[in-house]
Amino acid sequence: MGLLAGVLALGPALGPGYVLRYDMVFVPDPSLGTVLRGADGFPRAVPSDAAVAALSAVLPGDVVQSVALLAVFTVGGAGAARLVSRVLCRGGRIGALLASAAAGAAYVWNPFVAERLLLGQWAMLLGYAGLPWVVGATARLAVVRPAAGFAGLVRALLPAAVGGFSSVVLSALTAGPVALVRPRGEGAAVRRGSSRPAPRQRSEDAEAGRAPSGPAPARPPVSGVAHGLSEPVERAEPSGHAMEEAQASGVPREFSGSHGGAAPSASATGEDPGAGVARTPAASGGRWWTRAGLFALALVTVSLPWLLPALTSGADTDPSGVEAFAARSDTPFGVVGSLLLLGGVWNSGAVPPGYGEPVTATARLLLCLVSLAGWVWWSRRDRPGFGPGLSVAAVLGLLISLLGVTEPGRELLVRLISAWPGFGPLRDGQLYVAPLALVQALGLGACVWWLTGRRAAAASGSDGAGTPWRVGLAVFVVFLPVVVLPGLLWGAGGRLAPVRYPEEWLAAQEAVAADDRPGTVLVLPWSAYRGPDWSGRPVVVLDPATKLFDRRALWNDDLVVGTPDGGTVVVAGEDARAREVARVLGSDPRTGLPERLDAVTLGGLGVRYVAVSAPVDNQFWSGVEGLSVVVEGEDMTLLRVQDQHVKPDKAGIPGLEVTGGLVTVGAIIWSVARSGSSLVFQCSGPSAGPGARKEIPK
Amino acid sequence: MIKVIAACVVGAALAGGATFVATSVATESTATAEPVNETLYNYGDR
Repeated sequence: MGLLAGVLALGPALGPGYVLRYDMVFVPDPSLGTVLRGADGFPRAVPSDAAVAALSAVLPGDVVQSVALLAVFTVGGAGAARLVSRVLCRGGRIGALLASAAAGAAYVWNPFVAERLLLGQWAMLLGYAGLPWVVGATARLAVVRPAAGFAGLVRALLPAAVGGFSSVVLSALTAGPVALVRPRGEGAAVRRGSSRPAPRQRSEDAEAGRAPSGPAPARPPVSGVAHGLSEPVERAEPSGHAMEEAQASGVPREFSGSHGGAAPSASATGEDPGAGVARTPAASGGRWWTRAGLFALALVTVSLPWLLPALTSGADTDPSGVEAFAARSDTPFGVVGSLLLLGGVWNSGAVPPGYGEPVTATARLLLCLVSLAGWVWWSRRDRPGFGPGLSVAAVLGLLISLLGVTEPGRELLVRLISAWPGFGPLRDGQLYVAPLALVQALGLGACVWWLTGRRAAAASGSDGAGTPWRVGLAVFVVFLPVVVLPGLLWGAGGRLAPVRYPEEWLAAQEAVAADDRPGTVLVLPWSAYRGPDWSGRPVVVLDPATKLFDRRALWNDDLVVGTPDGGTVVVAGEDARAREVARVLGSDPRTGLPERLDAVTLGGLGVRYVAVSAPVDNQFWSGVEGLSVVVEGEDMTLLRVQDQHVKPDKAGIPGLEVTGGLVTVGAIIWSVARSGSSLVFQCSGPSAGPGARKEIPK
Repeated sequence: MIKVIAACVVGAALAGGATFVATSVATESTATAEPVNETLYNYGDR
């Protein structure tokens, strides 16, 4: 479903060429070394740009972009669908299938995804796509050994690790409460003592992060891995003989040990040196502080590539961004209503076409309300283990997103950001409705499950098809997210269209790459965003020249945001060196161009090349001594500063960042290697029926 | 089973038709004004 949604949403964007829009800039042959060397300020492009550069070494850049964009839909859709299927797998087959499809579709086809995609924030969306996986892995911390739970969590955090700062923040917000909030039934399970769920039920509970339930088994299961969330019962691992016997009898390995799913049991993977050792709740990560500790450790582990540079950067965050990036109303229902509908992005240019129309907005509102009702019904009925935590996360996220809307909230944010720049991401309020998007997606899945007649199916033991009209209606509901948000279709109505870089751009890139002498590239006009004519249709995009060259680029990272009254708010950038260049250049704020370039001054700043990435008058550089033209075209002019003027800095790759990156990559490889069994991807559907369940003989 | 498949097809067709109608509504009402031929561009406008 996610793949289908991705193809429908991206459409032409998957074709040859590069999709450029706002923050989304992909270039041919990006330089990994340049990304790692970075710039002053917070490392916002790490590690997403580093991952793109690494992949571009083996794949064409436009293919890498298509894969990245498609991964958002595929990973996100699959994650939400899987989360639903794990809990609803006891229902009918068709009902669970349609419920999963509905959840997957709703999770990747909503205003949040559309607006962030149109804002070009693909890396953040990658982290968003991983949220259901992170929630599932966090819930499993309660039922598996700490090492296995940690490995599963690191694997689930892989999209967030690639996405970078915003992605990890979103993961912390969404799954943090899941780790902290005590699942309902946890205490009851402890108190019940001998009232243990049946093996299959317990396995499903473990997989879904659900509080243990169900009747006591006729005979005790062999495995002790899939016990309740904090059941104080010591159980032995299955012996090697039992495992062999189980496999020989055709029992799937995942049912013979932990029903770990993405977090396989250590015994099944053969990695657990403690196999055969009794386990206590504390050993299985059942205590909330154990879960919280593991969760925090996993977050820090995947954050090291950007966390260490950020902590040592000494950069500041401009509090004026609080007002500029606060959520705004993009529907007739005000800011609160817009956020409830998962819209409300600060940039009016990122709203999908036709989204705010009363008809479609009202339909969208109804769908949201129904989805929320479905979530409440489902979380009360099935009590998924992650339910309370996810509900808390959704409410908390909505409150954070509303902070910038009210005057006291803005004051609070300004104080926080002034006190510590690390609070800077709170400026972008709409970002934090992501947990609510997951809640709504799962709620819609529950609605579809109810719609397919799950009660009748459960009573009759049928496949859950219910009556055909119910199935037809359920299929219609599965596609409802698309129906009420048609503006995302086919590259958001052509807004996401690939373009090819002009020849002069590629020639400039090649010329700079051929020069091994050090020195930076100054990008003019002194403004971050462009509306390149060669992009086919007017589109605002971060100047691709800032990422085109295999050396440090100096560009104006100030962000200018237009206000409804026609004015502008300037959010100061973070690159200290860029501020120094700005003082020296003295550019005209209307044109972004200096009155005259001076080769000696430029060379003194360490500038070896000047890239003029817009069609402008050449009077500010024509005839300047010490500058030579390397490439000259309509949209790109590359000037070289004579060698005797250049005083380049010796910029290397900081060892701290490299170390952090290696630790993260190593942890991810370890977590994937640890999962090296067929348990990673299991059949999510139910078994053929209760009678078909197999248990390992004692 | 045939009835179920037919119901799925009908449901999907209905959704397709509704999407077409919604797209028409959205397209007719869309009046985007993306900036063109400016010297400098904002990061975006609220």
